[in-house]
Amino acid sequence: MSEAIAKISTRKKTPATSYRTERLKENWHVFRESLLGKLGLILLSIFALMALCSFIPPLIDPMYNPMSGVDPLVSHSVGPSFRHWLGTDFIGRDIFSQLLGGARIAFMVGISAAFMSIFIGTIIGMVAGYAGKTVDSLLMRFADMIMVMPTLLVVLILSSLFGQLNIWTIVLLIALFRWPGVSRVIRAQTLSLKQRPFIDAARVAGASHFRIIFKHITPNVLPLALLYMTFRVTSAIIIEAALAFLGFGDPGTVSWGMMLQWVWKTGNMFQAPYWLLPPGICISLITLSFYMLGRAMDEVLDPRLRSVKQMR
Amino acid sequence: MEMKKFILKRGIEIVIIFFVILTTLFLLFHMAPGDPISRMIDPTMNPEDAQQLISELGLDQPVWTQYLYYLKNFFTGHFGVSFHYGRPVLEIIGKRLPNTIILFTSSIILSALVGIFMGKIAAWHKGKKTDTFMTVGALVLHTLFLPWLALIFIWVFAYKVGWFPLTGIISAEVWTNPNAGFLLKTLDVLHHMALPLFTLFVIHFGSYLLIMRSSMLETLREDYILTARAKGLEEKTVRNHHAAPNAALPVITSIGLSLAFSISGGAITETVFTWPGIGRELVFSVSNSDYPLAQASFLLIALIVLLSNLVVDVLYAYVDPRIRY
Repeated sequence: MSEAIAKISTRKKTPATSYRTERLKENWHVFRESLLGKLGLILLSIFALMALCSFIPPLIDPMYNPMSGVDPLVSHSVGPSFRHWLGTDFIGRDIFSQLLGGARIAFMVGISAAFMSIFIGTIIGMVAGYAGKTVDSLLMRFADMIMVMPTLLVVLILSSLFGQLNIWTIVLLIALFRWPGVSRVIRAQTLSLKQRPFIDAARVAGASHFRIIFKHITPNVLPLALLYMTFRVTSAIIIEAALAFLGFGDPGTVSWGMMLQWVWKTGNMFQAPYWLLPPGICISLITLSFYMLGRAMDEVLDPRLRSVKQMR
Repeated sequence: MEMKKFILKRGIEIVIIFFVILTTLFLLFHMAPGDPISRMIDPTMNPEDAQQLISELGLDQPVWTQYLYYLKNFFTGHFGVSFHYGRPVLEIIGKRLPNTIILFTSSIILSALVGIFMGKIAAWHKGKKTDTFMTVGALVLHTLFLPWLALIFIWVFAYKVGWFPLTGIISAEVWTNPNAGFLLKTLDVLHHMALPLFTLFVIHFGSYLLIMRSSMLETLREDYILTARAKGLEEKTVRNHHAAPNAALPVITSIGLSLAFSISGGAITETVFTWPGIGRELVFSVSNSDYPLAQASFLLIALIVLLSNLVVDVLYAYVDPRIRY
């Protein structure tokens, strides 16, 4: 990794980039020292591997298709065997391949919803902080209003009005309701950036507001936005899973929440621990690993949080 | 004086927010595909009753008048008639509301108190085994998936071990027994409440612990802590009387910020444990397309969140005078 960075730094020799790569190197060092960060990364790689492998089982035999594949020899939920590593669900679908498919859905939902909400939140936060006055207070009141809404229940009531929501609508709704927290943090950061001399310099040089926001402020708030993205990923995954668990997920996808709903609603939860345990453990662990990643990034951004060993 | 002004200001803000929510919901009910009338009147109701209800709710009027009717009906408690139960929504919701409030408030208070207490201990022993154990424990518990944890608790404590009832809020044999006194009935409800409360507690206290811990660590670096120590005060006094009360402030803020999240968790918990509260009624009515009940439950939940936000704000202003000025 450090070699790669060294290569980049020799290729581009402008002082700004070499300073940036120096910082990147140092940050990566702090990150690597953090046990939480390492654990989080390892766990996440396992989940990423699961998501990548989710394409394999259906290729081996159509009965391993997580949604439509049914084992003709099985008519109810059976325990783990060589044929089905984690057993089957109530109509004979393979639980292991559902679990792999669930990883793919979790990443898809988590990352796309988080990306969108960070995008909205960062822009609104920057505009509010930079513009100040009426625009600021209007935008922040609006953020407050959305912040007090329980996202899960809002999506629930919308699904009652508009019928079954598909997975992308759910992602969009999660993004639309999860930006206010981000925008508050970014706004605070923008307020302090606005006082710095380089913004004045840009203004004197004749830069437009648009240019100041996107060229000078954005790079400085991006690390913070990235940090908040890890937390938003977890909340998006949890909301989608909870929605699917309550029976309002996209019926065309197999997510971990959906698997839990099936084991709960078909009354198999007391008889089939091989079915009840894996999806819950996966949701909890993926949440935990993104959370640990976030904490480790927090240490990178806020030196006060580092332990003595890392300070040296 | 300042306190009154502050409460008034926050109160007005909350009224405005609630008004916006009310209006948005009205617009959504009208914009959604399908006939708006069919969403307030049970299609299987006999025509005369339906006609009477339509004129009572103002559904035969132009949209603008309907909106005024809608506001009036909300404030006078006319939410329409539930499709599923066939009874006025107000009556159903009135029964569910206390159950939700009991579970919601007790879970928040319990997890905040324990979180503050344990966060204080963890920060005090920073870097030692106690701290590591508590922090890691809190991190893991806090990220568990709530519905799954609820299912696991039911499976282990109610099904396998049999310490707690599987579902519901009361057991029939206690409540139909004429000899059962008030105490016995209360104990019965508490017995049913134990598992849902414990589930919510396990999920929530971890985040309070982590916030309290980091805030306590920050506070311990303050000059006044040094002063307190220099005065020769006992370590325990410094911890409990000088550091902890100040460090607890961010926890109160975070309670306010996580209220919306907590109420979603409450709805899931109520559903899994079949605890007869508003949250479960909302989930249930949405799956049954029981629109009047869903609408009223949603509005009431939004109102609960807003009012508890106000309570948290007032609490915060009370303990931290800087907020009031």
